[in-house]
Amino acid sequence: MTLVVVGVSHRTAPIDVRERFWFGPEEASRALLNLRSEDGIEEAVLLSTCNRTEVYLFPSDGETAIQAVERMLARKVGPLEDDLRSYLFQHQGQDAAQHLFRVSSGLDSMVTGEAEIQGQVREAYARSTELPIEPPMAGPVLNRLFQMSLAVGGRVRAETGLGEGAASVASVAVELAKKIFGSLRGKNVLILGAGATGELIVEALAREGAEGVIVANRTYERAVNLAERLHGHAIHFDRLPDGVASADIVLSSTAAPHAVLSRRVLYQAFPGGIRQPLFVIDIAIPRDVDPAVGDEPNVFLYNLDDLQQIVDEHVQVRRGAVPAAGRLIEAQLGEFSDWLASQEVVPLIRDLRGRGEEIRGRELERLYRRLPELSEEERERVEEFSKRFLNKLLHDPTIRLRKGLPHGDPGDLVETVRFLYGLEDLEEYEEDRVGREGGAFTEEQGSARVGAEEGVDPEEDDVGEEEGDKGKGGEGNERPEPRGSSGRGGPGISAARPAGRSGQRRK
Amino acid sequence: MIHTAALLFYIGAFALWVRFLWSGSRGRGPLLASVLALLGVVLHGTSLALFYLEHDELPLVGPGAALSSLAFVGGLALLVLLPLREVARVAIVLLPFVIVLQAVALAIGVRPAAAAIDFQGAGFILHVAFAFAGFQAFALACAAGTLYLIQFHELKTKRIGKIFRFTPPLATLDTLGRVGVWSGLVCLSLSLSLGWAWTLTYRDSLEITDPKVVWSVLSWFTFLGVVVARRLGDQPEYRGAVAAVLGFGVVVATFLVLRVTVGAEGLFL
Repeated sequence: MTLVVVGVSHRTAPIDVRERFWFGPEEASRALLNLRSEDGIEEAVLLSTCNRTEVYLFPSDGETAIQAVERMLARKVGPLEDDLRSYLFQHQGQDAAQHLFRVSSGLDSMVTGEAEIQGQVREAYARSTELPIEPPMAGPVLNRLFQMSLAVGGRVRAETGLGEGAASVASVAVELAKKIFGSLRGKNVLILGAGATGELIVEALAREGAEGVIVANRTYERAVNLAERLHGHAIHFDRLPDGVASADIVLSSTAAPHAVLSRRVLYQAFPGGIRQPLFVIDIAIPRDVDPAVGDEPNVFLYNLDDLQQIVDEHVQVRRGAVPAAGRLIEAQLGEFSDWLASQEVVPLIRDLRGRGEEIRGRELERLYRRLPELSEEERERVEEFSKRFLNKLLHDPTIRLRKGLPHGDPGDLVETVRFLYGLEDLEEYEEDRVGREGGAFTEEQGSARVGAEEGVDPEEDDVGEEEGDKGKGGEGNERPEPRGSSGRGGPGISAARPAGRSGQRRK
Repeated sequence: MIHTAALLFYIGAFALWVRFLWSGSRGRGPLLASVLALLGVVLHGTSLALFYLEHDELPLVGPGAALSSLAFVGGLALLVLLPLREVARVAIVLLPFVIVLQAVALAIGVRPAAAAIDFQGAGFILHVAFAFAGFQAFALACAAGTLYLIQFHELKTKRIGKIFRFTPPLATLDTLGRVGVWSGLVCLSLSLSLGWAWTLTYRDSLEITDPKVVWSVLSWFTFLGVVVARRLGDQPEYRGAVAAVLGFGVVVATFLVLRVTVGAEGLFL
């Protein structure tokens, strides 16, 4: 089992293709439920934004799952000009985790460091956890992955300059307005002209709580139209001073060849002086606002160049923060990989310990049968000794298994240890043992046992047992040879493991 | 020893705020700074309580003890601000004030008053407590005013850098300054009234020539001047900020002049 991500993004597909991949919230939920019905898909999260549609999976069979996702996406988009696969990307294993960490941190965004993606990732993850299906679509591995990705996204924004400052003219305008007024709730905005950028800025201000929108345009009908769209009201252009007097923020974007907002208009608007701060944004070319307006003490005047310069500075800062963000992501990736690897060895450690305990119990029983004169206290001491001995014997291997190999695949280590300790088909062995103890094992099992124990009766021969301890049989004498001893984990073990703990590790 | 430890915690908190500003307002600086400031205030309070237990005298009269108590009130004001997110950044201006007060207190020694104290009672304690609260509220107004002027300058000159990002919005600072000045004026008015009620009761005099009274009355008029300055003409916020900074400077300067020229040995003034 390995982590997989399949999808399209602004890096692999143009917008006219990307928009066809977009899933609304309900559609995404349905798609996830459909995916569950596909063979081998145990965990899945679907992230769909205007810049990307990505499906994160932790399937039992990577290839089958990828094909299932491709079929789902093909159904969604219908026929395309080019082959569907030419727009898709896919990552597996650590690369898939790294991709999600980069996405959450805004490193993979069209505008580097944009913050919205963090919320979109959170929503996608929540959707999978809230689906009415058992087991949940976001199981242990994707849960951990998404929680870590959200955490690293938060850290990147808090600890590096990646999310620093606003990266568009509209958001810079909002940032400045908030630094002047604190909350924008209840603030009035006057718009001069009816440009698209102006509308964007007003919408951004409205999202922060700005309410009263007043539109003034030389063509009154256009003012009315825009005012209707923005839920504001229009005024005639000759009433400009009244509009300015009732505004906290003035946004100017007319096509006038000369200044429309001058000191004279300001003095008409505020005959007793400007008592409250006035934020004036001039995004017109040529400028609409006389630069002298900015000299008034309580007026904060910013033109398009000023705003763009701030955007450029922020973008520079963000670019400079990319290496630091990358380091945080790498560190988090390391943690995730360690966690995933530890998940892989947990069942192995449990099996190893279980095997040890089982042998310990059996040997103690044998010892007590041979030495019936042992007192209760002596038995306790022997038991104590055997426990300590087993613990000490397994301590180092357990620690080392948890740490994993400094290099190489943890899956290989798991398989090797299972092979060395004969744990590949523990379940089969357990059945065999139960069969033996109950006196009802099959002929095949029986012959395997007889073959393994040929010439040695461990119940009777102490010498044989000691020799076994010295490497001439030992535990091998008491259990059948594992079937298919190539070390490629048996089905019994896989079934006993939670998701993500298979010896059959796919890459 | 505990006094010094409190001072070190205050210095640590201040250093973290500076670091936070320098790093472009990133990281967990405010949280750690808040923890250090909280520890500083707890230790400071403990040290003042121990002072009382040891000397059976409230630390309100001797110069070192009184300055340390004044610093402690500043620390308490910080604690009130800490949960207020951006507002807590005022600590970068307020903490140095607390640090200087505590450092001076330690330098001259946190000792009991040299003169015999025969006037401690609820009225006296309230008088001093209101005075300290009033001066610290004014210090807060001064801190908010300082940051207001800085942020105003950044916005006017379009310098959108670390200081811009660190400094709270103009409107927030203006509100804080207004609250500081008004609560300072109210506290100082109560303090003066209680003080005079006490002197009239026990000494049958307003003691107008006492340096403490001179300073308090001057300070009260300064507070009033700041309140009035906010209400006259346009740009009340800007003028309020300038007045708070200048007014607080006047209060501190007056104290120092009186302390050096006519202050009584062994007393706060």
